[in-house]
Amino acid sequence: MAPKINGIGIMPEDTRICVVMVGLPARGKSYIAQRAQRYLKWLSVPAKTFNVGNYRRKDAPHPSADFFDTNNAEGERQRRAAANAAVTDMLKWFKTGGVVGILDATNSTKERRKWVLDRLTKEGIEVIFVESKCDDEELVMANIRDVKTSSPDYQGQDPEQAALDFRERIRNYEKVYKSINDDNDEDHLTYLKIMNVGKKVFINRIQDYLQSRVVYFLMNLHIRPRSVWLSRHGESEYNLEGRIGGDSLLSHRGEEYARKLPELVRQSVGSDRPLTVWTSTLKRTIATARHLPKHYNQLQWKALDELDAGVCDGLTYQEIADQYPEDFQARDEDKYNYRYRGGESYRDVVIRLEPIIMELERSENILIISHQAVIRCIYAYFMQKPQEESPWVPVPLHTLIKLTPRAYDTELEKYDAKIKAVSTWRGKGSTAKHEDPKPEGGI
Amino acid sequence: MDTLLTAKIAVNAPRYRRKSSTFIDGIHDVPEEQGNLAPAQLYSTMSGRLFHSGRIAIVMVGLPARGKTHICVSMARYLSWLGVKTRIFHLGDYRRATVEGGLVPEDYFFPNASPASQMLRQKILKKCREDIYAWLNHENGQVAIYDAVNPTASGRLALAKEFAKHDVQTLFIESYVDDQEILQENARNVKISSPDFHGMDPDEAAKHYLKRIETKIPVFETMNEDELNYVKMINAGQAFFYNNVSFNYLSHRIVFYLTNLHIKFRTTFFVRAGPATDEDSYKADAPLSEEGILYAEKMTETLLRHREQERQAAIDRGDPDVPLRPLTVWTSTRLRTIQTAEPLHQRGYKVRQRSQMSQINPGVCEKLSEREIRLKYPQEVEKHEMDPYHHRYPRAESYHDLAVRLEPIILELEREQNDLLIIAHESVLRVLYSYLMHCSTMDIPKLKFPRDEIIEIIPAAYQNEAKRIHIPGLDPKTIPGSPEDIRIPVPNDISTHLPPIPGMNSPEPGEVVGTRPLERIVNNAKELVSDKVADED
Repeated sequence: MAPKINGIGIMPEDTRICVVMVGLPARGKSYIAQRAQRYLKWLSVPAKTFNVGNYRRKDAPHPSADFFDTNNAEGERQRRAAANAAVTDMLKWFKTGGVVGILDATNSTKERRKWVLDRLTKEGIEVIFVESKCDDEELVMANIRDVKTSSPDYQGQDPEQAALDFRERIRNYEKVYKSINDDNDEDHLTYLKIMNVGKKVFINRIQDYLQSRVVYFLMNLHIRPRSVWLSRHGESEYNLEGRIGGDSLLSHRGEEYARKLPELVRQSVGSDRPLTVWTSTLKRTIATARHLPKHYNQLQWKALDELDAGVCDGLTYQEIADQYPEDFQARDEDKYNYRYRGGESYRDVVIRLEPIIMELERSENILIISHQAVIRCIYAYFMQKPQEESPWVPVPLHTLIKLTPRAYDTELEKYDAKIKAVSTWRGKGSTAKHEDPKPEGGI
Repeated sequence: MDTLLTAKIAVNAPRYRRKSSTFIDGIHDVPEEQGNLAPAQLYSTMSGRLFHSGRIAIVMVGLPARGKTHICVSMARYLSWLGVKTRIFHLGDYRRATVEGGLVPEDYFFPNASPASQMLRQKILKKCREDIYAWLNHENGQVAIYDAVNPTASGRLALAKEFAKHDVQTLFIESYVDDQEILQENARNVKISSPDFHGMDPDEAAKHYLKRIETKIPVFETMNEDELNYVKMINAGQAFFYNNVSFNYLSHRIVFYLTNLHIKFRTTFFVRAGPATDEDSYKADAPLSEEGILYAEKMTETLLRHREQERQAAIDRGDPDVPLRPLTVWTSTRLRTIQTAEPLHQRGYKVRQRSQMSQINPGVCEKLSEREIRLKYPQEVEKHEMDPYHHRYPRAESYHDLAVRLEPIILELEREQNDLLIIAHESVLRVLYSYLMHCSTMDIPKLKFPRDEIIEIIPAAYQNEAKRIHIPGLDPKTIPGSPEDIRIPVPNDISTHLPPIPGMNSPEPGEVVGTRPLERIVNNAKELVSDKVADED
């Protein structure tokens, strides 16, 4: 059993932090908030986002731009009430064991920031302001187009009309917007200011480790549009025999997949734009990547190697059930924490994947060719799968997965190579055999 | 001075034989031939370089007394611990080795220096630069830290260009200080024991020293170059600014580390937890036994007396009478460590529990004697003896697992500004100690922390120092070995009481308790900083 530690243990037990977002609309605030939450939860730190817009929408579901005019007293009152409701809910949530709360709103005036700071500090919560400042018009417009299509405010409205309205709304915020410490009277605040998507960053008065960890993650984020492609290696000789682990070569059908992969990738990318390819150091992923165009940069990561099954490496599930019946059962009970004798658990894999995730966050357009357990962990990161579910997600062979992170969610597309392969999925508590996944589950 | 002589020989030695030009800072001279992984290294590559980050030159920027050397050494220690091959090149060492006595012409740092001074400067720079390339190209080095003032923007741009030509990415790190208190404090530390300032009021001497820097290096431009990758650390970590042209994972990692680093002086103490009622069981998490409770009390008394004595000694040396730095206590979440901290807790010290500091998980070895383990798992024992650091018994953690688990603690350790007492299991102490004292992975499983000793780690410019403080009057039964230690067998030949590093012996038995002078373990740092007065790099 892994010791009962909290993820990689990044939670100092008496620290509670509120991350307060600051910035004009369409600066990627929600995106940053969602990402931070996802990352922390993936590392087992209880984190939750409180979006003030969602509270406001209860009273004003589809407001027009003049609702956000500072001279509109009713709009102002409603927005303040929404902020109050969000902070109140967050404080309640902290009492139930929350560690990192994220307040997602514009918080664009000094007065509002002082109000937030005072309310949270009084409850013993540390406050870190995170401002996204952007004067690159192209980035802002790209963001508006994205928000326009996915924001609940404009559901069912004419897209052109929505874009115009949204720009008007931003103008109203601009009237009162004050960047943190622009007047040199907010130097006492703990804050992170990210300018033009991380080109310049200012960090002020980091108080403790968890804050530095959040800052570290956010520094690696960018909001340029991009996608991540995931694929398992082609069917291997071990897959055919139902054996786990090992370092075997591809089967005939696996070779066929490797040959088809370049076409599949081109189809999914939609152009000849090159990708960077990451594989593990095992033969079957390198072989799967070898027909990809020469101008694709390829890198091998040890951290992308398959979950180490220790003494069970190279065995079939039946052999494991026969030779280590207790282990077989224990693994089904808590698959996330179960560590193979002399091997790894899913939790261990998540820990060793942390640098990969960090690198992924700062990169653009990566194709990862790896293994079932590793892909499950990366998939769980992007799709916010809880720990009880992530180790059971079916990831079929010979399928290319494309993940596109957006402001409010991650978009999933898959491309079936239509090349037959064995299933390597096994249901919880079922027999020691590979079987066809249940239709509702997974990718 | 011996070190200078050695340094001189090294600087003038043929490149391929050159291991280090200085032999003086603790991060340099790890035996190369051991070839094993670093304590918290996650994976290894053929080239020996990690994180797909290629080769990086970290170029320090900042006037003297800005804590640059401290930042360099800490950063190198951390990166090496992660497995990144890192070496520091202090330009000052090259100057001292080139110029007799280290005394450079008065106009050495002036922008309009005489041709002779400029030539000397070029010669010294060239030697240092050549060493950097030799190390990066021929010794698979990954991060070269170039410790110098680098005062002008034009000089920095030229430097980045030159490195780029050699396919080396450059990251500048500037330590910028305008807080007078921090400057004074740094200057006070730098001028230690310099004859120039003998008998002078410490504050007066510090002021004098800072003035001297100003006249010697009249031109200094703080970083503002948009086209360069740089991190500006403002007032010892109060704020950071960074300009990111092409940061990679490793650069971000370094920034992350720096946000946790500070340059204030503080010490760290390590002690073991007292003996518990059920010594054998890992799962039981037993409370302290009676001797354990007694131990906790004695340890507390010794520690507090020691701190008081140190303070008195400092006053006697003529230091100003300042109150003791506050002391924070960290324990694991295991009952025996929490209870060992109880006497301190009752005296009003802040105690924090850290779940990551749980002892190494014994897996199947729990409750087994060494003999039983040898009988039941002969193959595992064989593997373990081959590589006691990385080998993992069935269901157990290896020391490597433990180091990776403790990494966040390392960063918190750097962040802590109070004096710190860590009460933990021997396995945890081994890993934390190895980080602070830069031990090799081969030695970590063998480090010994007997119960009758408090380890004190004192930071110093080039290398941390460790002292062992004897706790008198303990029942000898509770001292040796670690009865509650999980019995993961260690190779036979090291079962004796080996000192962790040369000169780091445990106290001899039978000495008069309480009166024995403190043993100084590694102590060449002071002599080294003493000539920093003339050191403007």
